[in-house]
Amino acid sequence: MNSNNTHITDVLIIGAGLAGERVAIEVANHGLKSIILSLIPPRRSHSTAAQGGMQAALGNCAMGQGDSPDIHFQDTVKGSDWGCDQEVARLFCDTAPSAVRQMSHWGVPWNRVVAGKKRLSTGQVVNDDPEYDGLISARDFGGTAKWRTCFTADGTGHTLQYTMDSLVIKLGITMHDRMEAVRLIHDGDHCMGAIVRCLRTGELHTYLAKSTVLATGGYGRLYGASTNAIINEGSGMSLALETGIVPLGNMEAVQFHPTGMVPVWILITEGARGDGGYLLDKNRHRFMPDYEPGKKELASRDVVARRMMQHIRQGYGVDSAYGQHLWLDIRHLGEKHINTNLREIANICRSFAGIDPAKDLIPVRPTQHYSMGGVRTNIDGAAYGLKGLFACGEAACWDLHGFNRLGGNSLAETIVAGLIIGKKIAEYTSGAAQKYTYQIIKDHHANIDQKIKDLISGKDGQENVYALRDQMEQNLMEYVGIFRTAAELQKAVDNLKDIYYRSLKIGLRSDGSGANPELSFALRFPGMVRLALCIAYGALERTESRGSHYREDYPRRDDQNWLNRTLAYWPAGADLPELKYEPVKITEIQPDDRGYGEASVRS
Amino acid sequence: MKLQHLLTKDSKTEFYYEVLELIAGLFLVVFLTLHILFVSTIILGPDVFDALAQGMDAYHLGTIFKSLVIVAFFAHFIVAGRRIPTRVREQGIVWRHAKLLRHPNTWAWVFQVITGMAILVLGAIHIWVVFTNSPTGAMGSAMRVQAGYLWFYIALIPLSFYHAGVGLYRQFVKWGWFPRKPVGYIIIVITLTIIAIGSVALWAFMQLEVS
Amino acid sequence: MSNRTLTFNIFRFDPYRPEVAPYMQSFSVEELDGMTVFVALNKIRETEDTAIKFDFVCRASICGSCAMLINGRPQLACKTLTRNLPKKITLMPLPVFKLIGDLSVDTGAWFRHLSLKTKSWIHTDKAFDPQVLEERMDNQTALDIYEAERCIECGCCIASCATANIMEDFWGAAGINRVARFMIDPRDGRSGKEYFEVIGSEQGAFGCMGLMACDDLCPMELPLQMQLAFVRRKMLGLGFKV
Ligand SMILES: Cc1cc2nc3c(=O)[nH]c(=O)nc-3n(C[C@H](O)[C@H](O)[C@H](O)COP(=O)(O)OP(=O)(O)OC[C@H]3O[C@@H](n4cnc5c(N)ncnc54)[C@H](O)[C@@H]3O)c2cc1C
Ligand code: HEM
Ligand code: HEM
Ligand code: SF4
Ligand code: F3S
Ligand code: FES
Repeated sequence: MNSNNTHITDVLIIGAGLAGERVAIEVANHGLKSIILSLIPPRRSHSTAAQGGMQAALGNCAMGQGDSPDIHFQDTVKGSDWGCDQEVARLFCDTAPSAVRQMSHWGVPWNRVVAGKKRLSTGQVVNDDPEYDGLISARDFGGTAKWRTCFTADGTGHTLQYTMDSLVIKLGITMHDRMEAVRLIHDGDHCMGAIVRCLRTGELHTYLAKSTVLATGGYGRLYGASTNAIINEGSGMSLALETGIVPLGNMEAVQFHPTGMVPVWILITEGARGDGGYLLDKNRHRFMPDYEPGKKELASRDVVARRMMQHIRQGYGVDSAYGQHLWLDIRHLGEKHINTNLREIANICRSFAGIDPAKDLIPVRPTQHYSMGGVRTNIDGAAYGLKGLFACGEAACWDLHGFNRLGGNSLAETIVAGLIIGKKIAEYTSGAAQKYTYQIIKDHHANIDQKIKDLISGKDGQENVYALRDQMEQNLMEYVGIFRTAAELQKAVDNLKDIYYRSLKIGLRSDGSGANPELSFALRFPGMVRLALCIAYGALERTESRGSHYREDYPRRDDQNWLNRTLAYWPAGADLPELKYEPVKITEIQPDDRGYGEASVRS
Repeated sequence: MKLQHLLTKDSKTEFYYEVLELIAGLFLVVFLTLHILFVSTIILGPDVFDALAQGMDAYHLGTIFKSLVIVAFFAHFIVAGRRIPTRVREQGIVWRHAKLLRHPNTWAWVFQVITGMAILVLGAIHIWVVFTNSPTGAMGSAMRVQAGYLWFYIALIPLSFYHAGVGLYRQFVKWGWFPRKPVGYIIIVITLTIIAIGSVALWAFMQLEVS
Repeated sequence: MSNRTLTFNIFRFDPYRPEVAPYMQSFSVEELDGMTVFVALNKIRETEDTAIKFDFVCRASICGSCAMLINGRPQLACKTLTRNLPKKITLMPLPVFKLIGDLSVDTGAWFRHLSLKTKSWIHTDKAFDPQVLEERMDNQTALDIYEAERCIECGCCIASCATANIMEDFWGAAGINRVARFMIDPRDGRSGKEYFEVIGSEQGAFGCMGLMACDDLCPMELPLQMQLAFVRRKMLGLGFKV
């Protein structure tokens, strides 16, 4: 251990996406010091990939008139299939509008309302009132009663992240990029910071703080086909789970996006359907109205994704070398619209598939997209189990999304939660003292040091980490996908257990010196398999269907037995998570029919 | 900020250099174009050429113009010259970069620098020669051309017009008055035309009977 | 389609082991349909040399991590299809930026420095009031700002610019475009003089020689020529005033 590599601060923020940076700004505004860590330069965080938009009930545009946080709340609760924490959802919906305005104040160039009549691609004519001219506009997104998704052309996440980061720079907040947190330092009661590996040199650093925040984003890359960035490996969740004391919530709730482009799995944003795109089958038939006459292509994500798979299973999929898929058709929106409002999509189609969406159909298939589950926290963002540990953003299970997140609600979550939780962290931190002992730091440091040495020496075995990863991905893709059954889930759990044991016997093939990428991955991998087991095992145990968790053998939602949240713990030395359940907080709306999807599944 | 940068920081100097670069560059292009058209009146016959030369001298236009050109020539040498990669290391980087990048506009610039250096030498010789042999007249010029300066001009015409053409293009590009691509095509056409006219003029000089 | 066998010549160097001189190492890869350099590099790392360093994050040309010299030209490796390349492919890290190792360079630190130097944030005296409606803005203005803000900080424009290659502290097209983004933003209260201080110099607008490699090679196809010229013209006007 090297004292030059020890950094002490008030708040250690692991993750420089929107959630982490928003927390940092709030903390700085309260006069506290913080250090942000990130695997990559902050502006490359996956938040920048969000194209579609951010929900907030402003009600400025014609199709958003009459919107309010109440309606947003109803949509969110319904979307979550009553799995969310309604107190959190209420707080969130009430705060979202001012959060959007604040981002505007800080510099986000939100698209604005242009007064006057316009014709929508559906043929409907709307009239934007001059009274709202120049206010923040919104677009249509799945699962929402009003047009509520604020956007900047097709780069909402990008402009949000750049603006947020500009403020971080302005405020002089310390940013250490290319630094990977590899272990939380704790004594079973308090979290004291983290052991961090430098991805430039491979050296280990120690970060000590009064509070530590996990804002590390999602775990999409556990799945082979995911829209997520390749760094989204759920490392924050693994860090928390590894403590043995902090539980993960609702890990089985995995969202699949209806339109990942085959075969690169790059997301074609919901904006394409929001702006009027259709889904077609192999006969070029627009099938969504057959299943969902009301919302059609714009029903909530889980429903659309499931309908697509259902349709493929009924034999209407298009054959291809990469498996069956369907078509997304946006040709009728016109070249001009596609090349301006949907330019990113047009570029993606051209660069990655060599097709022109103004002329060609886009091959799409449901693809892993979002992790509703994560580090379980209370409404203040404090993780269960360890004092001084917080989580925020996609890494957390604050529980705004329950079993299904609405598109546009997660960008909003990162910012709204960052604001609210940031305040709470500041309060906590102001009253807390630096608590650590040399011995504890040394132990945690030694633990990682030993792991690194063993991986390099190959003392525990010679398993190939990349081969193991392929197997993990396959198991999740095949057995823990959109449609789930007990038999398949059991198979996944058994296989993953085996992979987990083998992951403890990885040996490097390179010398592991410096910032060796194989070593980085090998250090991370066992934690990833633990997450995979939480997902598979949680899904196996939950014998009902709710939101994105769909059991073919239990196709109904079962509020009698399962109106609860899964908590997954990983006791030391275990090979399976220990599952506990806690009730869901229902304050305003009692469980009911969602008004889309289930109604027809049930009958 | 480093001390040496702090104490020499003067944002206006850069600005004036930039303005001077623009004016001197454009002025030289205008001059060069007029100059070659003027010299090319030899195609219409030595009388026209002489009449023009005398006409200009009568109002001292020639002298004023000549002084301005010399000032502009050296001003340009100084301001544009500051962009020339002078150190050996810089030279190495630029050549390597241009070869790797295979980018036409970057190569165009590399050759502009080279042609600029060539013009510095050739242009200075030329101006010297012309000045020490004034006044200008068709016969005198033709004599020079036939006495061996033909090859000198055959080199100078394309060098200077390549340099002027690319320079003009880059000025338009930098100030963004017009979109790049059309400006590029127009300048290429004009440059080639002028080089052609200049070559015909040289030919005309060669045809002239000098006594 | 009979697939080719591609040969990748890859630059190898570890700045933390300067005693090993940089060298080029070659790898063969069987080409697959729809293969990108991203796919090929990962294949090489997973099957041939697990120590090789390169950066990818989004693999969808959104994040700007993966720019490198592909056969000499700066490009995003994630969106470069091998089918558009010859059989022999040379990969080198971007010049100008600090080398981290092999194909990985520190564009992040460079751009952070740029943001600091150009003070790339909205300068305003107004405090945010959560109770009040947002300030109105013309939608076209919003779109214009976005047009400049689309830059993903990949560094292709910097690496391709000869000026930036020889002039240590030149901010290049990305830097000048960044300033343009704030200049057109009505929320930014900086005066002309302040802007002139920031960008009216050889490090900024006046350093550019109009080489246009930036404009030709920006993977986001930002209208860099027009942005550079816009700032230069603004500076011309301001230069006479301030
Ligand atoms: C393609 C795509 C499109 C999307 N579109 C939308 C949309 O239109 N609307 C919407 O609302 N949502 C959308 N989402 C979801 C939304 O973008 C994400 O949920 C959200 O941005 C997550 O933000 P975050 O701050 O929690 O995490 P991220 O932005 O993922 O940031 C994670 C940060 O943690 C750092 N990190 C991770 N592990 C470590 C570690 N061990 N040590 C140090 N640092 C670490 C990373 O470097 C990174 O900085 C989309 C998601 C995807 C994948
Ligand atoms: C009649 C003679 C000349 C004409 C018409 C001319 C014209 C021009 C023009 C229009 C430019 C573009 C200006 C710019 O980019 O800012 C230019 C650039 C340049 N000239 Fe000349 N020039 C002449 C002579 C010279 C000489 C003698 C030199 C020798 C040093 C020279 C060196 C350069 C260089 C290096 C540039 C590039 C500057 C830059 O890229 O910014 N030129 N010239
Ligand atoms: C003020 C300065 C100049 C004067 C008075 C001048 C004068 C002349 C004259 C009289 C001629 C006819 C040929 C001769 O007499 O030899 C000539 C030709 C020429 N000059 Fe100049 N010149 C000047 C500057 C320049 C400069 C700066 C350049 C280019 C860099 C230039 C390029 C040429 C060329 C290319 C020709 C040959 C034209 C042809 O025959 O088509 N001159 N000049
Ligand atoms: S301007 Fe273009 S090339 Fe330059 S950094 Fe931005 S996106 Fe990359
Ligand atoms: S390449 Fe460089 S010189 Fe200017 S036009 Fe682009 S910044
Ligand atoms: S990996 Fe993000 S741009 Fe290439």
